[in-house]
Order: sequence, then structure tokens, then C-alpha cells
Amino acid sequence: MKLSRFARFSIALLFVWIVLFAFLPQIMVLIASVLSKGATDFILFEPTVQNYARLFDPIYLQIFVDSLVLASVTTLLCLIIAFPFAATLARAPKAWRPLLLILVIIPFWTSSLVRTYALIALLKTKGLINAALLFLGIIDAPLELMYTQVAVFIGMVYTLLPFMILPLYAALEKIDVRLIEAASDLGAGFWSRLMRITIPLSLSGIIAGSMLVFLPALGMFYIPDLLGGAKNLIIGSFIRNQFLTFRDWPFGAAASMLLSLMMLLMVALYAYAQRRERA
Amino acid sequence: MRSIKTAYVLLIYVLLYLPIGVLILYSFNASKFSTEWKGFTLMWYEKLSSNDGLIEAALHSLNIALFSSLLATLIGTLGAVALFRHRFLGKKFLESMVYILIVSPEIVMGISLLMLFSAAQMPMGFWTLLIAHITLCVPFVIVTVASRLANFDQSVIEAAKDLGAEEFTLFYKVVLPMIAPSVIAGFLLSFTLSLDDVIISFFVTGPGYEILPLKIYSMVRVGVKPEINALCTIMFVLTIFVVLLSQYLLKEKR
Amino acid sequence: MKKIILAALLALGLQAAQKELVVYNWSEYMPESVIEDFEKESGIKVRYSTYDSNEAMYAKIKTAGGESYDIVVPSTYFVNKMSREGLLAKIDKSKLKNYANLDPKLLGKPFDPKNDYSIPYMWGSTGMSYNAKVLGEGAVSAWSDLWNKEFAGKLLLTDDLREVIGMALLSLGYSSNTTDPKQIEAAYNKLKTLMPNVKLFNSESPKGVYISEEVVVGMNFNGENYMANTEMPELRYVYPKEGVLVWVDSLVIPKGAKNIAAAHAFIDYLLRPEVAKTISEEIGYATPNLAAVKLLEPETAANRIIYPTADDLAKSEFQLDVGEAITIYEQYWEKLKTGN
Repeated sequence: MKLSRFARFSIALLFVWIVLFAFLPQIMVLIASVLSKGATDFILFEPTVQNYARLFDPIYLQIFVDSLVLASVTTLLCLIIAFPFAATLARAPKAWRPLLLILVIIPFWTSSLVRTYALIALLKTKGLINAALLFLGIIDAPLELMYTQVAVFIGMVYTLLPFMILPLYAALEKIDVRLIEAASDLGAGFWSRLMRITIPLSLSGIIAGSMLVFLPALGMFYIPDLLGGAKNLIIGSFIRNQFLTFRDWPFGAAASMLLSLMMLLMVALYAYAQRRERA
Repeated sequence: MRSIKTAYVLLIYVLLYLPIGVLILYSFNASKFSTEWKGFTLMWYEKLSSNDGLIEAALHSLNIALFSSLLATLIGTLGAVALFRHRFLGKKFLESMVYILIVSPEIVMGISLLMLFSAAQMPMGFWTLLIAHITLCVPFVIVTVASRLANFDQSVIEAAKDLGAEEFTLFYKVVLPMIAPSVIAGFLLSFTLSLDDVIISFFVTGPGYEILPLKIYSMVRVGVKPEINALCTIMFVLTIFVVLLSQYLLKEKR
Repeated sequence: MKKIILAALLALGLQAAQKELVVYNWSEYMPESVIEDFEKESGIKVRYSTYDSNEAMYAKIKTAGGESYDIVVPSTYFVNKMSREGLLAKIDKSKLKNYANLDPKLLGKPFDPKNDYSIPYMWGSTGMSYNAKVLGEGAVSAWSDLWNKEFAGKLLLTDDLREVIGMALLSLGYSSNTTDPKQIEAAYNKLKTLMPNVKLFNSESPKGVYISEEVVVGMNFNGENYMANTEMPELRYVYPKEGVLVWVDSLVIPKGAKNIAAAHAFIDYLLRPEVAKTISEEIGYATPNLAAVKLLEPETAANRIIYPTADDLAKSEFQLDVGEAITIYEQYWEKLKTGN
């Protein structure tokens, strides 16, 4: 099939951009990952595979596993919280939807550092949440929330939630209400409508949202450090340390390459599974 | 059922805005360092009004966010539709790059772009920031738009095509209206990403073009100043005002 | 829309045309009034650009070859590292009329023995803080006191590997600048036993954490303690018996700076007693300028948190670049944080 001029323009635009500003830099990272660290220079032109070999040290594997767990739980929590929210929004009166959607986003136009400090004010032992709970008589002694895993999850979910809500909304909004009404008329209950219609038809949104939460969650370091007390290393801070604190660029590049590779593998596996399902 | 849904949505909105509420409250707090309440003051607003550097940085940030998200939405939407509609050489490559870009840590993107720009002898500033932010946002737009396209009814397009629609007309008249919510979502995501990015921006900015997140993050040594709370409050109130106004104007039009 | 594009283009164009002094510093580490006065007096426009860590600044200076900054403010051992790597230009002290104002005790330090490359701007120490209301007066006096089992889950450490491992080294009687792998390992083993006490690592803003009483004891910067005292008088700062860690933020001129003369003029301006006094009062850290200290309120100048006595600094150590040994520090730091 011959491509129209418009299609060629679209493809060329994306292609040129990606090659210049993503592929080329990424190739530089790849090259850096097989070179050595210099005493004063960031990179020495001595090829080595040492950087990759080092990544399989149990310490670093631990970091990878911890980060994967953190990102997975965050994604799951976001999905559970965002789904009913996005579903309701998608069925709101049409004139209201743009406003409701933009109201989701507005809080995130405030600096995340400033918002994280506000979260600390809410979560700390003498903070507003504890004060409110104590006042309402729900608890007798203040909860220790700050510098725990709970605080980290609260911060992560709070920061990444819109990345789940928006794609979910875009997918759910498209589902024909009549389909669900018909199912309801035919006697399908809430759960069966959800499992057999809503979820399958919004699957693409669920996947897009999960990716947009999971991938950034893996690289996040500021929020876990500030709310969790920086007691654990996760991959985001690990790679950052390699580049800045330890100035071992080749090793940081190797870690970043491995991360990208893992992600591509997961995406490929998913695509493969889908194809098999269809076949 | 309906009231439970409404209550849930309201609850989420309250939680989303709770930290913002706290920050507005603290912008009037007389305490300089702590989060204890030490009495009402307008001092931080006064101090902010004389801090030109901060205000300029905020305007720069808005400038970059607006342009980069508009351009990223353009490139990303056209790209996503092309990736969905056509088969062509390098399609798999483009798709892989999109995922790699989303996952690649900001610091890696920042440093590799810094190397690229210094190799090309580009002066750091507005343009390098713009390019970097567009690169950061494009993949997010593509994934958002692609998710909407995924279950798209191809027959509509084929029908339009049979009726003799040009590819561009097809895009503009048929595809775009159908994917509009995801295009808006992609734009909003991009704007958000750009407005808050620190790490990539740090490496690709120059002395001539300071942006707000960098100013805020580099305050760590002496502590983030309460003026920042005041600035964020003003920006927040302005956004709410603009959004409500546009909503009102749209209603009037109808 | 067009207007904004035009404004952006204009800004870019102007930037190239006008002669400017580009200062690269921590944000809010220099009062606006100080910069404005200099601009008025000299007619030189100052561009103030900011960074959030020495490491990030170093990466940027080193990588972006074309970029030019006229003044940068690295901390202690980065001066040493950057000068050794030829990233700094020599400072012509004959052009600095006010150089004599500086405290000789803070000059000629091992990170720049002749002050050829760096002029002290602000200085401070990393010692210990404790909440006297909760723990009682005199609760801690030495680094080794942090290991007290009563402090379980109540301790703050800074999030800086050199400082934390350095503190452990000092508590063992070693130098915090050691390059001996055995000593570093011993420090790591000692730190492992401290972990149950540690509630968090934080270098961003320890004062906030102390004020909110999430922790009651731990490491702290003197300036942070001093600032916290305005709202929490019961927070005590301690110069540990084994020695306190001292750091100096210095003014340097990177190689490739375009306005060498203006940079010297600016440094000399900052060394004026009145100017240094204003800076110190606004920022809350100590000035190395003796003539400026004389102008301070007697109360401030006598505050041992900001201006320690000779006794307080008896065993103090400046952080030095440890060269390749840094990789040993890093390995143990990673081990400490992954709990292996």
C-alpha cells in the first residue's frame, strides 16, 4: 500500500525526532555501558563487559527486586483506586467531563517537591492526619506513618494517580453505554458486567495506564527517599548515584540498559501473550 | 449505587486537593521552617513580590510547558495514528523506542541529551529545554492515544475512505473527533510532566533560562522558602480561575 | 502566541549581546539585595543560576564544554578535585583588596594549600543535635553516644556517604579522610550496628525533622541547628569529642570563564565586611570574614553553634578528596543501604 503524503509526513516527523533526540543519545548510553570508568574522566575508551557482570552481584539484584516490588504494588494500588473513579467520570454528564478531568490534573501543576513537603506535614506523627484521627477518637495514640513503607506508597500513589486515571478515562469513555444496559436487561449482575464487558473493553486503557505508572515508578527516587527516610536503595536512586555521586557513568549506563531491556522484554511478552490469545 | 459513586469520586477529589490545601494554609503561616502553625501572616507574599528571579522562573516554566506539550501532542498524536494505521519500515523500531524512552531514567536522558547538545555546540537555554521536554512527553502522548485507538472500529475509516476521503480529511474529520479525549489527556499529561521536570531540565538548561522546579530543588541547602508556598498558591488560584472562566465561556457559547 | 515566541527569541538574543557575569550557586545562597547593589555599583549585570548538589554541578561543568560560568561555589573537597582536574582558573589575589579580611584559620587548608583557586565564602560544620527537652541536658557528647540502645528508631543521619562513614571513622579514632580499606570496613561494620537506631537519612532539611520531633538525636549541620533554634530553643548542637566535620563553600572561577575581570571584582565585593555580614545574617551560616564578624551583633558572633571556639574545633577535620578510594566508600554505602 502506498502511503499518502499526510501519512508520510506524520511518520517522518516522529521518525526524525526519535532518531535525533532519543535513538542517538541512547546509542551513546549503550556505548558508554561497555567502556571503563576513568579516574578523572567520566569515560575511558577501554571496552569491557565488567559493568554488566557487576550488575549480577546479589546487592544489585536486591535493588532490582525491591524496586520491581515497589513499582508493582504502586501500579496495582493506582489501578484499584483509579478504575471506579475513571468509570464514574466517563459516565458523568457530557458537559461536565472536561472540567472534571482537568480538576484531576490541576493539583499536579504544583511542584512535586512542594507537594511532598505538604504530604509530610499531613503524615508526620504530630501531623494533620494524626490530629484529625485522634480528635475523632478513631485512634488513641498517633500512628507512626512517616519514614515507613506506608508513607512511601501513599506518596507514590498520590503522585502517579493521574497517569492511571487519564488513559483509563479515555478508554472507558468510549464504551457504548447501551452495551452495558443491554447486558443488565439480560440479567447480568454488576460483577459479571464488570468482568465480561467493562474490563475487556477497557483493557487497552488499563494496560496503557499501568505502563505509565509502572515505568516512572521504577525510576522514581525523590519521593521514596523523602517519605521513606532513604533507608533503602531503589533503582532510581541507584542509577542517579552512579551518575552523580559515584561518577561511574559506564556502570550507571549499564544499569539503565538492563532496565530498558527488562521493560522491552515485558512488553514483548505481553504482545506475544495477546497474539496467542487471539489465535 | 449512584450516591456511593458520587461519594467516592468526591473523596478522591478531596484527597487530591488535600496537600494543596495544606500548602495554601502554610503560605499564610508565620513559621519559617517548621510545619507548626505560628500565626497568620502575609509576609511571604510580600517577600515574593520583590523576588523577581522567582517570578521570572515561574513564567519561563509555563512558557516551556505550554510549547513543549503542544508540540509533543502534535508529534505524538500524528505518530500514534500513523503507527496504528500503517505498516512501514521501522515501525517496530519506533514502537520499541517509545517504551525505552518511558522507562529510561530521567538522569540518563538528561545526561545523554547534554552530551548530544554539547557535541552539537548548541547553547543551552530555551531551545535545548524545549527539545528535551518534547522528547520526554512524546512517548506519553503516543501511549495514551494508542490505547484509545486500540479498539477502534476500522470499518468507519474504510467507509470514509471508500467515499473518497483524502488521508488528511480522514484524520481531521473522522479519526481526530474519535480520539479527542485521549489527545486532551495526552496534552494534560505532557503539560504536567514538563512543568515539574527537574533532572532532565537541570542538564539541558543554561544560565540564561532558569525554570521554577530547578530553583525550588536547589533551595535544599537553606531549606525551601515559604515564598514558594505563596508562589504556588498564586499559581494554583490563577489556574482554577482560568479553568472556571473557560468553562463558563464555553457554556455561554452553547 | 506570537508575542511569546518573539519574547523568547528576544531573550535569547539579548543574552548573547549584553555583557554579563554568570554566577552558578546554590539557590537562595546569596541575598538579592547583595546582587542588586553590585549591579548598581559596577554596571555589570549578574545572572544567577542554581544547582542542588555539588555532584550535579560538577557533572554539568565537566560535560558541557561550551557553557561558561564565571563564578561557581563548590564545597570543600570539590575544590580539590576540580583544581586537580584542571577545571579551575587561578585567582589573582593582587586584585582582591579585601582578601586580608579573611580568617587565616580558614585559609591554606589542605584542599587548596595556597588558595590559588578558591576563596572561602561560607563555612560550617556537621556535628550532632539533640532534643534537650526529651533527652535532658548533656545527653550526648561524642559520636559514639549515638550507638546508645535507648535511641532505637529515633536517630537522623545525613544522606551523604562521606559524612556518615566519616563520622563512624572518627568514632573509631581514625581519620574521616582515610583511604585504608580495613579502616573503612571497620567503620561499615560499626555502622551496621547503628542501623536499628536510624529512623531516616536526610540532608535536605534536617531541621524540619528535628522540629517536628520525628527524631530526637542525630547528625546535623550547624546552620540548620541555629535556624531551628528560632522555633525550637531546646535543640542543642554538639561538637563531638572525636572531632567535628568541617566544610567550606568557596568561590572559584572555572576555566573558560569569559569575564575574568568582572569575576574578580565580584569576589572582592563579596569580601567587603558589610557585604559579608549581610550575607551571613540572611543565610544563617558563618562567614569566614573576620572583619565582618566584628560587625555582627555580639550575640550572634558569640553563638558557639555558628562561631565555634578553638576548643570546639580541636579535632575537627576538613573533608578531602579521597581519590580512587571513594569506590570503597561507595561499596560499603550501598551494602549499608541494601542491608547486606
